[in-house]
Amino acid sequence: MSRWVAALRLTGVGFFIGISIVGGVVVGLWVDSKLGTSPVLVIVGLILGVILAVYGVYQMLLPLLVSKRNKEKN
Amino acid sequence: MPRKGCLGCSFPVLVLLILVLLALFIVGFLSGPLGKSMFGDLGLPFGTVQPEPKLPAETVFHLFGFPIANSVIGAWITIIFLVVFSYVVTRRMKMVPGRLQGVFESLLGWLYNFCKNVAGEEKGRLFFPVVATIFLFVAFNAWLSLIPGFGSIEIINPEGHHVHLLRGANTDVNMPLALALASFIFVELFGLRTLGIRYLTKFFNAGPFFKSLGQILRGKVRDGFSGMITGFIHIFVGILEALSEMVRIVSFTFRLFGNMTAGEILLLIAIFLVPWLFALPFYGLELLVGFVQALIFGGLTLVFLTLATAHHGE
Repeated sequence: MSRWVAALRLTGVGFFIGISIVGGVVVGLWVDSKLGTSPVLVIVGLILGVILAVYGVYQMLLPLLVSKRNKEKN
Repeated sequence: MPRKGCLGCSFPVLVLLILVLLALFIVGFLSGPLGKSMFGDLGLPFGTVQPEPKLPAETVFHLFGFPIANSVIGAWITIIFLVVFSYVVTRRMKMVPGRLQGVFESLLGWLYNFCKNVAGEEKGRLFFPVVATIFLFVAFNAWLSLIPGFGSIEIINPEGHHVHLLRGANTDVNMPLALALASFIFVELFGLRTLGIRYLTKFFNAGPFFKSLGQILRGKVRDGFSGMITGFIHIFVGILEALSEMVRIVSFTFRLFGNMTAGEILLLIAIFLVPWLFALPFYGLELLVGFVQALIFGGLTLVFLTLATAHHGE
């Protein structure tokens, strides 16, 4: 079971990284243009996007890491 | 009995077939822009016009004030095809299946086993209708739009524009978005139904924060403050979870849309550069891409359904 789950989730890793970082920047730019706080919120958005990307990838890799650890234990 | 050669053909037939295909390929190559740029225009009358892929779908007509785009008609055709096909297959079910029933049974059986493998026996049964519907729609929509006529029949719409009558539904960004939203709603609904209100703690987990606040008020300041940091992290992780759901919708949408649109443009360009035979391998590739995209869309929905309904620590 976990192999299928991990394999399918891994197909989304690249998309996830790209969309979360670009999304953070785009939202930051948009709010900046509305509030006139350029460039503070772009940087905040970028950092949030990167954190989201790292968190998401960690979540996606977790099943693989866990199964590897279990295998090593056995 | 004639001697069998390769691929069920006798040897002379095979040679003739290869020669005909080679001749078709050479004529196609010479009449396309690629051959013309290499060998000059030989005056062959088989060239194709340069394709102009359009990203937004074109409106064919209006129904009760709603614009009906060609991709919507493509989606309708897929739905009608699936309904009629299912009716024909299941009309006279036999214990020993015929050829058509056998094919469909093995496809659905394979999908059912896939669901059970990923989600387990009980949940697999529960999720199968959702996953199979998405899979069948995406796959058959991709395969149907490979049939000649999709993207080549032109009509004049009421406004007087030349528009294509049919177009693969998933080459219009609205359809993948609708599918992604449907998949998202199913994931949240099944999560709420299985775990109840506890499901929402995944997105907003302020419990540890308030607990540590209580500890501070009761005088355990040191424990309270260290718990408060953990509480903040829990709240932040909840926000990240909610954001990653949003990112998932976007990534579902653009993966399907991008693959389907790129496939269509690839075929157009292949046919334009070298008419006739050259596009054939790409048709094979597109059959595979349609299947893989359907599998990924359905499979990822299944995986997220499984994750959403899993109890914590499972």
